[in-house]
Amino acid sequence: MLLRVQLIFRFCAIVLIQVLVLNKISIQWWTHPSGFPIFVPYLYPLFILVLPLRIPVWQVLLWGFVTGLTIDVFMNTAGMHAFATVLIAWLRTTALNMLLPKNRTEYTTHLPGVKSMGWIPFLAYSAILLFIHHAVFFCIETWSFANPGILLLKICASSITSLLLVMVYTLLFTQTQSSHTA
Amino acid sequence: MRNLILFIRRHANLLLFFLLEGICLILISRTQTLQGNSLLSSANAVSGALYQKREDVLYYFSLKKINDSLLQENARLRQLFALATHSVDTFSDEVKDFPLTSTTVDSRQIIQYAKYTYRSARVINNSVTAENNYITINRGAKSGIRKNMAVLSASGAVGRVIQVSDNFATVLSILNVKQEISAKLSDGNIGSVGWEEGNPDILLLKNIPQQIEVKIGDSVYTSSYSFFPPGVLIGTVTKKFLIRKNNLQLLYLKPATNFRNLNYVYVVENSMLEERRILEDSTQRKK
Repeated sequence: MLLRVQLIFRFCAIVLIQVLVLNKISIQWWTHPSGFPIFVPYLYPLFILVLPLRIPVWQVLLWGFVTGLTIDVFMNTAGMHAFATVLIAWLRTTALNMLLPKNRTEYTTHLPGVKSMGWIPFLAYSAILLFIHHAVFFCIETWSFANPGILLLKICASSITSLLLVMVYTLLFTQTQSSHTA
Repeated sequence: MRNLILFIRRHANLLLFFLLEGICLILISRTQTLQGNSLLSSANAVSGALYQKREDVLYYFSLKKINDSLLQENARLRQLFALATHSVDTFSDEVKDFPLTSTTVDSRQIIQYAKYTYRSARVINNSVTAENNYITINRGAKSGIRKNMAVLSASGAVGRVIQVSDNFATVLSILNVKQEISAKLSDGNIGSVGWEEGNPDILLLKNIPQQIEVKIGDSVYTSSYSFFPPGVLIGTVTKKFLIRKNNLQLLYLKPATNFRNLNYVYVVENSMLEERRILEDSTQRKK
């Protein structure tokens, strides 16, 4: 029960940050220097990345769908964010199995994070999934490979920014999280 | 049968995954058409209300900018008004192009082909980064906003209403790759204005024949073919290219509207639009 309240609270916080802050940065402050495309960092996949390990796969998938759809509603992109997010929710299990030191089922109370995985594996895990999410989303949104350079530039710039934000999040919340869950 | 059930149980997660992705694809393909489903747009009650709250907080900080833009618009309208009232002789040719609602100007009958109602609305959400950019405004069906109405800012064209809920509406801004709008140069040559993704400060005017001379700084207006009222400023020419392939000119425009800080817009209702649409549709069918 406590876990569920925590999840819903984190869900609201991440969605609000994404919708009210990150989506708005580009509008007023980012002025197109030398043809560099405008991009938005998408932090919200972080919610899927740090879902507790013991949550079954089908729930992760449903959370992914709900998160993506919520962002879609706010950004008028019906389905595109949901598609990318469900995809990384599916790949999350595989990535975790590869990167966790022990078998995934042995972690009962942990969240994927620096505490349970160590810095390098956690960053690799986040980077891979964020990159897949961004690549899929931007490909669906653009729906053409007429400008592959611009597309790639957008994907990379956006993924790197998102990864930096994930690192900020980890630095800010690692301590409190471990005290909650341990 | 037993095998089927076993199969479903073993691969339940995979099936769920494909089911969800399928739903997403259906949603995407349904909204790639210009209509789309209003539940999943920012015009719905929850997201609209959230954006409204955000706008209420930030509103105070943009008052100075709003004030400036209103002053500018006021000055422009005063100029137009002076032109319309004092120098009727030089203006009389242009009158036909302007959507005047009065039927007699200078004791001469003007055919009234469009009647416009302007409603002001506040922008509560805005984007410039996506492939197709949408603006949410805080007026909806209750204030008389309908689908397909044109939306203008104080300085130029903005877009078209595509979704309406009771209290909110979403507008497809001209920063989109779906739909081009008909435009004309100041000498009356018609082209179409589109957008290339990535830069909200550049619009493209295509299909201008080679022999037409265009100067840097020329203004581009909406034509009477579009759903906009004719003569609304879209932008000014900043660069021009000649495409060798088809000998047509491609012009880069600087949009008249600053999409980065839209605060107020006008939603324009054209009461003749329905009649015009029915007539045009029936003509199409005859052909």
